[in-house]
Amino acid sequence: MHPSAPPVSAPVEAAPAIEVRDLRRSYGDFEAVRGISFEVQPGEVFALLGVNGAGKTSALEVLEGLAPPGGGSVRVLGADPVRDRARVRPHLGVLLQFSGLPGDLTVAESLHTWAGTLTDPRPVPEALAQVQLAHRADVRVRSLSGGERRRLDLALALLGRPRVVVLDEPTTGLDPESRRQVWGLVRDLVADGAAVVLTTHHLEEAEELADRVAVLRAGQIVLSGTKEEIAETQPATIRFTLDEDAPVLPQVAGVQVVAQRPRVEWHTRALQPVLAELLAWAAEHHVVLRALEARAASLEQAFLAVAAEAHTPSA
Amino acid sequence: MSTTLAPAPSTPSAPARLRRVAALARGELRLFLRNRTAVANSGLLPLLLVAAVPALGIDGELPLGPRLLVAAVGVTLVFVTYYNLVITFVARREEMVLQRMRTGELTGLEVLVGTAVPTLLVTLAQVALVAVGVVVLGEWSAPVEFLLPVIALLGGALLMTVLAAASTSFTRSAESAQVTTLPLVVVTSALSGLLTPLSVFPEPVALVARLMPVTPVVELLQLGLAGVTWDGESVDAAGAWGAAPLPLAVLAGWLVIGTVAATRGFRWAPRR
Repeated sequence: MHPSAPPVSAPVEAAPAIEVRDLRRSYGDFEAVRGISFEVQPGEVFALLGVNGAGKTSALEVLEGLAPPGGGSVRVLGADPVRDRARVRPHLGVLLQFSGLPGDLTVAESLHTWAGTLTDPRPVPEALAQVQLAHRADVRVRSLSGGERRRLDLALALLGRPRVVVLDEPTTGLDPESRRQVWGLVRDLVADGAAVVLTTHHLEEAEELADRVAVLRAGQIVLSGTKEEIAETQPATIRFTLDEDAPVLPQVAGVQVVAQRPRVEWHTRALQPVLAELLAWAAEHHVVLRALEARAASLEQAFLAVAAEAHTPSA
Repeated sequence: MSTTLAPAPSTPSAPARLRRVAALARGELRLFLRNRTAVANSGLLPLLLVAAVPALGIDGELPLGPRLLVAAVGVTLVFVTYYNLVITFVARREEMVLQRMRTGELTGLEVLVGTAVPTLLVTLAQVALVAVGVVVLGEWSAPVEFLLPVIALLGGALLMTVLAAASTSFTRSAESAQVTTLPLVVVTSALSGLLTPLSVFPEPVALVARLMPVTPVVELLQLGLAGVTWDGESVDAAGAWGAAPLPLAVLAGWLVIGTVAATRGFRWAPRR
């Protein structure tokens, strides 16, 4: 932490940086967030996933102190982000999903203006270098590309050396190289002890960055845990191609046959024993399993399964 | 790293507030100075006013110097402060700039004040330019009561700012501001005594006109600058103060109404 930042109280063992309890938020009769709870520890990345309209941004706005909760509670560094905003804000960095900047200020002027409103800003040249915009410092914001503008957004969010960072779809509109640069930035933040909450549509991003994930559907958390725990909610996949004259496949316990030969696809929650049994059968019968693939379930698979449930009438 | 904050006052200190507003205002002023059309218009309006009031022979009970100054303050407050601020606040809201500003340490009030500073500075500069013009024309006369015009100018600027913030609640875009600002720009300024003395209206109409938001500003200016009451009577300094309570109360009342309306109706982001 920077030496000139406001003093903090004695450390509290294992106290979460963010604590959300039974959070609710409504727009008129529509309940956008329906009782969600989660915690984020310092040095941890927590990803909120969900299809459009799942309630991610509505939940984040309460966390950011931009809207009061309709019910439940939110604590950021132990304080209410709405009622104690003056205490919370110097430690909170926010990247909104959509936000604007005056187009006629240059990149450096935008950062200097924002720095003037913060308690403990990092030097502007350092912030520019952090997001690889040093060479664009004197360019007006309206002349920046979408990706450059997003990186400027990020520089503004991180300018105050925040201990808690909320990133709402941070890499939307970025090219693959810029996206990886942003991922590097997030990892640096976490290495310095910041707590990060992010939403994203890129499941690869959640796989890369998140320590824990929650999947939101219709305002409720329907899946949460580590990436591995979430992936384990879905079956693993085994695929192979089998000649027409090959012997009949064995009946293996715990296998759901999704596709028959020639391109066979099995789903199973016991990948290793099923695969071992399949390979033993192939060896015994001298069968070649062409184009064999065996893959554990992914976060993407789990997310798509939840999204598919959201689109079924009974969901 | 600790995960709780030290107990500290939740209200920011005055120097911190001023520092933040000043930083935002500097950025806004830079934006204004880069808009050549706006800068040119800001310089032209006072010059046109100084030329137009005598040329049009706008009738009134005031000598030319005070008449020019009353017109300058009234026109500038309505057409520059109020109108520009409605457009600025709405444009910033629709571009999601206001919402971004709220994600930092700036409070909502600080965002609005910082955004309004360039417009308020232009207002003061234009009035000062007209005052210089009055001196150059040899029409300057000492105010009957100096404090009343100062209250009128500062109170009027504050009122136009809160009414502009309130007007954004029913203004969906910067373009629609041309329509939504009409009630204040046309109706209330027409009934303010700015263009036509209130004394020419029937008494019930004059009474209603005196309750409009711009009228107390004009009344206080006329009283302070020339010692002339709303119905054309000449008074000294004591008489000016004697006639001031009603316009002061109306001004204060509109400030309360405008502040309540702005607090309840102001939106920081476009409707979803």
